[in-house]
Amino acid sequence: MNSYQRVMNTLSGRPVDRVPAFAILGAYGANLTGCDLRTLYSDAGAYLQAQQALQSSFGFDLVLAPFDFSAIAEAFGGETVWSGLQTPNMRRPAAPTVARALDLRLPGPGDGRLSFILEATRALAQLYQERVPVIAVLPGPGILPSLLVGLDLWMETVLFEPGAARNLLSYSGDFLVALGNALVEAGADCLVFTEGMACAEIAPRALFVDAVLPHLREILARIDGPKIISSTGGSINQTLDLLPGIPGVVGAVAGSRDDLVESRRLVGPHFNLLGNLDNLAFASVGAEEMQQMSLDCLQAAAHGGHFILANSGGDIPQATPAENLLAMHGAAVRYPATGRLQ
Amino acid sequence: MLLQTNHEEDFPMSPADLCQQLLNAMINADRAGAADIVSEALACGFAPAQVISDILDPAIIRLGKMWEEETMSLAQNFVASKIAEDTLISCLPDLGTKESHKGKAVIGNIEDDFHSLGRRTMGLFLKAAGWDVIDLGNDVPAEQFLEKALEVGASVIGASAMMQTTALNIRKLRELIDREGLQNHLKLAVGGAVFNWRPELVSEVGGDGTARNAIGADELFTRLQAEVKGPGAP
Repeated sequence: MNSYQRVMNTLSGRPVDRVPAFAILGAYGANLTGCDLRTLYSDAGAYLQAQQALQSSFGFDLVLAPFDFSAIAEAFGGETVWSGLQTPNMRRPAAPTVARALDLRLPGPGDGRLSFILEATRALAQLYQERVPVIAVLPGPGILPSLLVGLDLWMETVLFEPGAARNLLSYSGDFLVALGNALVEAGADCLVFTEGMACAEIAPRALFVDAVLPHLREILARIDGPKIISSTGGSINQTLDLLPGIPGVVGAVAGSRDDLVESRRLVGPHFNLLGNLDNLAFASVGAEEMQQMSLDCLQAAAHGGHFILANSGGDIPQATPAENLLAMHGAAVRYPATGRLQ
Repeated sequence: MLLQTNHEEDFPMSPADLCQQLLNAMINADRAGAADIVSEALACGFAPAQVISDILDPAIIRLGKMWEEETMSLAQNFVASKIAEDTLISCLPDLGTKESHKGKAVIGNIEDDFHSLGRRTMGLFLKAAGWDVIDLGNDVPAEQFLEKALEVGASVIGASAMMQTTALNIRKLRELIDREGLQNHLKLAVGGAVFNWRPELVSEVGGDGTARNAIGADELFTRLQAEVKGPGAP
């Protein structure tokens, strides 16, 4: 059974030889190929080479399309800050007010560095077709406006100007639909939406239900392919029960502070869960501890299937020792689909 | 009547009780209820300065602690911030209309820090005291602080941080100021709840001074500006 069969079977509840494992490794690939991060996140060839190096070094069950939200902010007119140590970030959003954001030209899914993301996705899909699935990460519809106006202003708008918030959600939603479908067309097998508004650290459940959930349903219904909602590392158990049944959503990434047993109870046995290893732990614990943490996750949530061992946040820290990634992968290999350790 | 009274003594509730009520309103995102608490406190005879120092400020400090303990969401924090602004505006009605005469102050939350409550409150107090405040917002890189301070001719930068991890990012700003040889021309005020709990952090991150709360910001900024301009400077 190859990675593609393993992941697709897991998502659809069919038998697998073992639990799939996946770590978000984007910038880490530059460590292996000696590429600088600006090149990695603007040159599809360099990105493909880095993902190939990661795949041959660690053998995880998914490859990652470029996970770089600053390219989205840039496409709207924002500025990016480049660092030698981490993925590029938005330095300044495109618009200082919601009114100005609504006047921005709506970018196409191939504008600016988004074309690099599509090109790299296409290249990954061609190389790994039906061998290793390609996963692409997008901002959730409820948090996307923060890339246009900044998190501060977006949060204030959601809280105090619900009409303006709805307008901006609607405006930015059309872009997200176009980009999501373009990624699927380029060959992404699965889309992950990092919906910060679903996390307890960002918004209480009631705000998510009132301000975001209806929009999330509407936008995701217009995007093709299987979709996963990510907690972005935060605690998502507070809203997890609301996610099954959203059009096309086949799973969710539990946060590293979420109790996986409770996560499973909240979503039922047939909804896929991913997680929930803490990103910071990758760079701060030893290989043995990493293996134990991975086994703990597996024992908490993998016995009934519909589970992928994964980290819960964004990009794995650059300082992570290779042994820790191998220990995580090794734990999944040791823990078979039957749920009994070999 | 919204405010309960201590019937035994027939006096309004103590500032500590009112602080608790205001804190509850902040936690419950009850902006209107908070406004009622403040209005009635003023109507009951509390001086505006006492409402700020004994009711609002301790509530803000306790909120900061809850944020650190991760028992509040960012959204609740934003509502609390708005309540703090409302309270200050009620207590300082000429806020924003005063002519700026003390000088320019550049403030912001340091890179990776998104806890705006303390910074925004500090900005309001500085404005009320006569400073021309340039607020750069959250998640401000060191370079942007320096660039703006030089552009507007400010003598003091106020860098705010809520968490210890983000407070350490202020070091970059210290290093940048020193590298440019501006340490005698540009002073670095640091603040945020973490500095109250760990005062040694002020020197660890290279701060030239701190204030325990937003009320003390004017005094701090005035002192630091005087250090730049020297004795007798206007």
